[in-house]
Amino acid sequence: MNLNIKAEKAQTYDAIVVGSGMTGGWAAKELTEKGLNVLVLERGYEIKHVEDYKTAFKDPWEFEHRGKISNVAAEEHYASMYFSAKEGSQYLYTNDKENPYIQKRPFNWIRAYHTGGKSLLWGKHTYRWNREDFMANAKQGLGIDWPIRYEELVPWYKYVEKFVGISGQAEGLAVLPDSTFLPPMAMTAPEIHLKKSVAQKLNRPIIMGRVAHLTKPQPWHSALGRATCQFRNRCSRGCPFGAYFSSLAATLPAARQTTRLTVIHNAIVKEILLDDKGQKAKGVRVIDQNTMEVREFYAKIIFLNAGTIGSTSILMNSKSARFPNGLGNDSDQLGRNLMDHHLSVGARADIEGFEDDYYFGARPGSLYIPRFRNWGNDKRDYLRGFGYQGGASRTDYSRGATEPGFGADFKKKMAQPGPWKINLSGFGEVLPNPNNRFTLSEDQKDKWGLPQVVFDADFGENELAMRKDIMNDGAEMLEAAGFKNVVAYDNPVAHMGLGIHEMGTARMGKDPKTSVLNKFNQVHACKNVFVTDGSFMVSSSNVNPSLTYMALTARAANYAVEQLKAHNL
Amino acid sequence: MNRREAVTQVAWMVGGILSAPTLQAMNRWEQIATSGTPLNRMGSFLNETQHAIMARVSDLIIPHTDTPGALDVGVPDFIEVMLRDCYKKSAQDLFLEGLGNLDRKGFLTLSPDQQTATLKQVEADALKNSNVSFWQLIKEQTLLGYFTSEAGIKASFDYQPIPGRFEAIKIKPGQKDFMYGNQA
Repeated sequence: MNLNIKAEKAQTYDAIVVGSGMTGGWAAKELTEKGLNVLVLERGYEIKHVEDYKTAFKDPWEFEHRGKISNVAAEEHYASMYFSAKEGSQYLYTNDKENPYIQKRPFNWIRAYHTGGKSLLWGKHTYRWNREDFMANAKQGLGIDWPIRYEELVPWYKYVEKFVGISGQAEGLAVLPDSTFLPPMAMTAPEIHLKKSVAQKLNRPIIMGRVAHLTKPQPWHSALGRATCQFRNRCSRGCPFGAYFSSLAATLPAARQTTRLTVIHNAIVKEILLDDKGQKAKGVRVIDQNTMEVREFYAKIIFLNAGTIGSTSILMNSKSARFPNGLGNDSDQLGRNLMDHHLSVGARADIEGFEDDYYFGARPGSLYIPRFRNWGNDKRDYLRGFGYQGGASRTDYSRGATEPGFGADFKKKMAQPGPWKINLSGFGEVLPNPNNRFTLSEDQKDKWGLPQVVFDADFGENELAMRKDIMNDGAEMLEAAGFKNVVAYDNPVAHMGLGIHEMGTARMGKDPKTSVLNKFNQVHACKNVFVTDGSFMVSSSNVNPSLTYMALTARAANYAVEQLKAHNL
Repeated sequence: MNRREAVTQVAWMVGGILSAPTLQAMNRWEQIATSGTPLNRMGSFLNETQHAIMARVSDLIIPHTDTPGALDVGVPDFIEVMLRDCYKKSAQDLFLEGLGNLDRKGFLTLSPDQQTATLKQVEADALKNSNVSFWQLIKEQTLLGYFTSEAGIKASFDYQPIPGRFEAIKIKPGQKDFMYGNQA
């Protein structure tokens, strides 16, 4: 008995954070900095910042397949193949074959089970939501209303932006509110031409993408060992300069500096444990992914940051007398309203001229075209909108595969910069739909005995109607600039998950009957459990979501500590 | 130390991470080595004639000039690896068919001028339709193998693994393409 109590004490912390990715890192930083002893549980293996970015300094000739993925690797990484997996970054993507899931309808579940999670792999485009984004559901009677408004988030946006470091330019656009910025990256000559043409002829702004790269590190960035972006654009292999924002480069080191951080790896959280009264969480039960050993850890508060599907799965798996359908699932909303952004649609063109123009460096950013549809006086036959990322660059030697010629002259030509090309790639909002969901399988288990995730979600008519505009509007802008051979494209195999912006499934709301979390990301019926990754999302906007996740995580952590101090938790 | 350990150690020394296909290749090598079967080229996908035709075509695409050519930087061995590890069955078959067609024309016995003329015809035929062709595949692999090799990069491009900045510039006369080594 005494021994048990002692053992329990040794495994007791003030707070447990499940997951070390984008939001787990933020939860760890905020909670430790506010004086709490925090345990971070990461289900994957350990990656150490810098020293474990094993491909970061490799030259092209050091890769066996020169960057191409082998058939064996392609089979192992079937979910992440489309965009992400290349020979240099493959090690950061989870082996899907070893971590199977079920697709009632096609879904690309792209995972990064290791320290830092997908914060090592993200696209780094970083945008605030606008006022309308938080009100659209209520105005249009879709889903439920957000329990918060833009104005409440502004101080938290500001707070996280300063720490993250975002390169960009203030534009004063209501549709895309400005953040606090470091200097923007440069545009190429044809991009500047496109910007001018589209402003003149179509009255649409084209701006430099806002990306979480240190173009001019501030003292608080340097203090964590983060350095200026070196414009290698090898980000997806891990950045040894810590120039782009990740848990490994920024939030975890900050948390570690407090000496109140403990990180345990290979720890898959099976379920949340409730206290004797069954109303409050007392800890989590964990399976070691290698040894299968089962352990328990205890804390006053629990933050779920396991990634949208991961966090909701943990809630679903946490069944008890009080919560027979999963923790906090009184509303039957767990797993529903799964969203993503729809992409792989847009327009591209060849650019004639600009032969004398070139650029030095590899830019890990792009142009951004903010939403213009269903904004202001514009009205379409679908709801919401989309933005574009894209840019113009000169082609390299690989153009030679489809260009006629071979021999000495051809060889010489291929070593010179090729003609310019441009691509505009759309990112569209996905509406909340309760029938887009995931559940846990009744009979199929993974190798740790946990039920497999079953996806049953797809785009609807609204998204498909929007895609036509994404193609046509993209083509129209390229034509406005006088670019040649304009091709509008829509990849027919694009389906949910490919945006790697999976969100929803444990939405926040005012009414416990229709939502899982309250406005501070607390589980309505179990107040010491907070969920602050993408699963809390009520709608998806069309802009990249990470900044909003970070802002809400910092806000929830602040609230949690206040409530702890007031003895309300 | 057995052969496998030795290979693993060498691979680590040259900074390699061993991919699943490499480990498999090593297994095969070990099997062949211990069974006493003669080994011409490690992990070869093509037979000797096919390999010779492939090598000659890559040589004609990227010849040795005042800079190294495809043969100098080991493109034929690279193509073998890519055929084996990265090509789907349909692409492998297309590649073999293309080599077979050249073999039937007695490609290796032709004079260099005749070989060039033959490839011009192959190219003209390939450009007639938009499907992926043998010609596109072998060009793609030759270009990739050559322009990502150490000698190919250093002879052809202004290699900048750490550029340190991004700026729009004007091209100078004789400007080589910059290479940042981020394709992988």
